[in-house]
Amino acid sequence: MVAKTPSERRGAMVRLVESKTVQRVAPPLLLPAGPYLDLAGEEFGRQLLLTTANDGVEYCLRPDFTLPIAKSYLDDGMVGVPGAFTYLGPIFRQEDGVPVEYDQAGLELLGQPDAAAALDQVLTFARWALAIYDVTAPNIRLGGVGLFETFLAAMGISDHWQARIRHRFGHPASMHRLMQRLTNPEQRVAGAAPDARETIIEIVTDNMLQSGLSLVGSRLPEEIAERYIEKQALDASPIPDEMVALLVEYLSIVDVPQRALDRIYQMTRQAGIDIEDSLNTVRSHAAALIALSPKASVVFDAGFAPRLDYYTGVVFEMTGEAGDILASGGEYDRLLNRLGAAEPVTASGCALWTDRLEQEATRNNG
Amino acid sequence: MADEALILAVPSKGRLEEETRRVFGESRLPITRPGGARSYVGAIKNQAGVSVRFYPAAEIARELITGAIDIGVTGSDLIHEAAENGVARVVLVKPLEFGRADVVVAVPDAWIDVTHMVDLADVASDFRYRHGRWLRVATKYVHLTRKFFAEWGIAEYRIVESAGATEAAPAAGAADLIVDITSSGETLQANALRILEDGVIMQSEAHLIVSRAADWTPLKKAQLEALLSIMGGVAPGISTQL
Repeated sequence: MVAKTPSERRGAMVRLVESKTVQRVAPPLLLPAGPYLDLAGEEFGRQLLLTTANDGVEYCLRPDFTLPIAKSYLDDGMVGVPGAFTYLGPIFRQEDGVPVEYDQAGLELLGQPDAAAALDQVLTFARWALAIYDVTAPNIRLGGVGLFETFLAAMGISDHWQARIRHRFGHPASMHRLMQRLTNPEQRVAGAAPDARETIIEIVTDNMLQSGLSLVGSRLPEEIAERYIEKQALDASPIPDEMVALLVEYLSIVDVPQRALDRIYQMTRQAGIDIEDSLNTVRSHAAALIALSPKASVVFDAGFAPRLDYYTGVVFEMTGEAGDILASGGEYDRLLNRLGAAEPVTASGCALWTDRLEQEATRNNG
Repeated sequence: MADEALILAVPSKGRLEEETRRVFGESRLPITRPGGARSYVGAIKNQAGVSVRFYPAAEIARELITGAIDIGVTGSDLIHEAAENGVARVVLVKPLEFGRADVVVAVPDAWIDVTHMVDLADVASDFRYRHGRWLRVATKYVHLTRKFFAEWGIAEYRIVESAGATEAAPAAGAADLIVDITSSGETLQANALRILEDGVIMQSEAHLIVSRAADWTPLKKAQLEALLSIMGGVAPGISTQL
């Protein structure tokens, strides 16, 4: 079924997104920018192509499909009903300050009762899409957001440190800085006895009043005082060295899934940490993926995560010969909650860069 | 022939104009502005091949990036701010030792727990959970702020664009912290704001800047080399990079 020409490949892609078990949707090209900025903040906001209505409301050209699809799923009251949506069409971004139009295809599985099966379905979809473009041996990088969260929780370190570490997951530079700070005792502030909370609140309140700052509009005096005390306490009682070493080792693991996961199993077991269930989840998805595309070169990268905090379980990206990302996705069970769902809704999916896929196909076919 | 004139843009007012004219004057390249402060066209004595334009400093940065002018004097901060990849489209040929100022991240002095960018990352990460809105950063340096915050892994904030009096934004309740330019830090202190210890985003200074995007004919390149050699302090051969 290898398609020979661009239009044949396009036709095959259309058939894939219009297959019987899924519903192809086409969200508007012009969308309110607010939900994007609310969900992803300035870091994604810089990529939006914005326009402003006369009343000051900001709109953007559709920068992705996931958000409008998830949002209309919620707005249409579909929560509780399994949804399988596909798409194929243009998206618009700014890259290096230049507006760019891309073509994207993808799958969103929302509210599926069997989350593990849904993820495997997503991986299958991505694999078929790549096959249309004759990409049968992609490089696939797997990451475990859920695994890392479980690992962190099982380490028995304080909630505050957990939050700080989790927040830096997927941003290697800032994680590295934090690990440096934790491994370098000279950078730790000497553990002065924490001052009395009430005294600090008073000092902060005085300062805010003198500076003309509202006591309720932004950070509260209590909040500042508590974080100040917490910071002193954290600096005074840092994470034990062996735990820091374990974290650093964990984050450095990049290997074929079996070896990588075995190594995580060994190191956590030696440290008396039980994360076997989470490990097995990743193992089974990795095995499914390898069975699907035996020629792919698959690695598990323990430190890999998208920078959006709504990702939850297994995440992946597939790259071609040129090193460009051809497909990326994973599980993002927190997305619908971020958008206002009252109950947990499972979500997984992937996005495919069809322009880049077409380039790969052209390259491979001479 | 008129098309072949080298266009030099000079800040149109204030200390930047005075200092630029002083520096050029000291290099025996006195800039004249025959029409006075309201005119935007000028010349350099004995340099018929150079046409001088007086523009606001921010406009000079934009025009250098697009190539509408050939060379100009403006702050390096404005080049970084005018476009995300602005600095790649110009050559900063010579620092001019005036207009020095830092673009900095400053928080209310009352935030005693926030001394470094890592603290700000922590505050940003749960700000929305605590307050039901994003942490707001007032600034006119949108690109610089986004780039610097991204380097520190801070994504959970929104920029409030501010054209003037940025330092008043926290007290006015318009923002929680600011990114602004400061030379002595006095304005920040007067507004009870404190620069984070690793919060200097860039050290800016007025520079003589050459546009890579301008239309460089061999004649204009030769004029540029001649002008730069009179000014001194620049190695010859800049025009080969254009």
